Amino acid sequence: MTKYARQLQFLLFLLPILAIYSLFTIFPLIKAFFLSFTNFNGYSKVYDFVGIKNYVMIFADDAITSAISYTLFFTFAKALLVTVLAIPLAMILDQKFLTRNVHRAIFFFPSIPSGLLLAYIWGFILAPIGSGVLNTILRELFNIGPQPWLADPLLAKLSTIVVATWAVTGWHAVLYLAFLQSIPKDYYEAASIDGASRLQQVRFITLPLLAPAMTISVMLLLTGGLKVFEIPFALTKGGPGFETYSITQVIMLRGITEAQYGLASAMSIVFFLIVLAIAIFQVTVMQRRERGIQ
Amino acid sequence: MTNSNKRLWILDILMLPAGFIAFFPFYLIIVNTFKTMQDAAKNPMSLPSKWIFTNYVQVFQETAILRSFVNSVTITLFAVLFIVLIGAMGAYPVVFNGNRLTRIATVYLLAGFMIPFQATLIPLFQLMSDLNLIDKIVGLIVLYMSGSVFVFFLMSGYMKTIPRELSEAAVIDGCSIWGIFWRIIFPLLKPITITSVIFQTMWIWNDFLAPMLFLNSSSKSTLVLQIYKAKGEFTVDWPMFMTLTVVTLVPIFIFFIVMQKHIVKGIAAGAVKG
Repeated sequence: MTKYARQLQFLLFLLPILAIYSLFTIFPLIKAFFLSFTNFNGYSKVYDFVGIKNYVMIFADDAITSAISYTLFFTFAKALLVTVLAIPLAMILDQKFLTRNVHRAIFFFPSIPSGLLLAYIWGFILAPIGSGVLNTILRELFNIGPQPWLADPLLAKLSTIVVATWAVTGWHAVLYLAFLQSIPKDYYEAASIDGASRLQQVRFITLPLLAPAMTISVMLLLTGGLKVFEIPFALTKGGPGFETYSITQVIMLRGITEAQYGLASAMSIVFFLIVLAIAIFQVTVMQRRERGIQ
Repeated sequence: MTNSNKRLWILDILMLPAGFIAFFPFYLIIVNTFKTMQDAAKNPMSLPSKWIFTNYVQVFQETAILRSFVNSVTITLFAVLFIVLIGAMGAYPVVFNGNRLTRIATVYLLAGFMIPFQATLIPLFQLMSDLNLIDKIVGLIVLYMSGSVFVFFLMSGYMKTIPRELSEAAVIDGCSIWGIFWRIIFPLLKPITITSVIFQTMWIWNDFLAPMLFLNSSSKSTLVLQIYKAKGEFTVDWPMFMTLTVVTLVPIFIFFIVMQKHIVKGIAAGAVKG
């Protein structure tokens, strides 16, 4: 076998993945970039270049600006809440108490089913009418009238964040748990011999050693959060008004429902840049933090 | 010893309300599937005043749930199969025959991590319709194959731990490159293949966006899409909708029980390696 034929045979292995990826990921991205400078409407073959008009229009479009601000708020609030809850949860689930395995399973399970399905289940709890489960609880226990959990702009935003947090906290706790279990026990023994309190041990041993886990967990939370769609869509359909519209939902509304391809493509490109910027920023900052701690 | 035992008992008690809140949504939908509409509306949280089981019979009669289950299985099975094969194949030359070309290919594929599906959605919609892949189960399977980029990186990471002598010895024995991959390398990838299969299965089985965009006819619905459609259909009949939800949760629950250890191991391995 000649060396040339051998190299060619090897490259054939790369062909399927390169073909699929180029066709379904790279080509559409380049095309979105191209379309974002046109007034293409999806039907007429004739269209013009309009320069950066679509990018300017993004910021004049109430639905789009609302979607961007909601998505960012959702992403950061959820990332913060999940991190604050998952780390102590992981520490608790690391202890050997009787019902530990039951609790691990209970907290972890919500990360397995589809977000759409979970949000629909919560829809019954948060139903704004009197028969909503949470409203029933509030009435029977505290004699509080029905609250518009999914109809008030602020409450609706918070509700989607709470449901999303409930869904993934267990998953992130498992991630932290993996790191906790890799911390050698002698560190704690040495520290307690030196007279360090339990709290000091957490502060000076556990948390610093969890820094790399935090980098990964927060990165997954941020990139996942920006792509949010199912949970607000299933809970509020994006309402009231455009208050809980996610970026994904607004791209579909403007692009597919209304066939404003140019505008929606500009939005897609801006979205891509937001994801890119946040991911790069977060990884750089957190890795610097890891180095600072260790 | 007694002291630490006492402390742990406190954890059991402290965690009880937290666990209860985390589990409550599931309790709620399960308990309401055994109620009539009136009973569920009046006492959503309590046990049924009279246990009925007709919702479970009705859900199979009134919705195409079995059909959707078969669709979900078909799509997930083939998509995951191709994803794993394509991803593993792509990693092979990168790890065992690295050169400038494979390095360029790796960087090119790495960009895929940063490109959200949503950013490509509009042209993708046109592309799928140009390729005549809309409303076709095959179309969705082909689309999901782009998920192989993630598997490619998992596989390359794992493949680096396989000793090179193995494949070099096989070359001397006259094995072709194609043969080395399938007979020697691929079987060694079993642990990472399990991880890949689990995570890709969860993604595709649960995906809502792509089926909603690319499958229209109800005979092609996936289970998640079926839930979405039923939500509009059973707006007032909560027990029926909850029954549908519980039935679709059954396979997911079984998957969870069987795979829990592997899922946790996968998260841990992915996380620790970073």
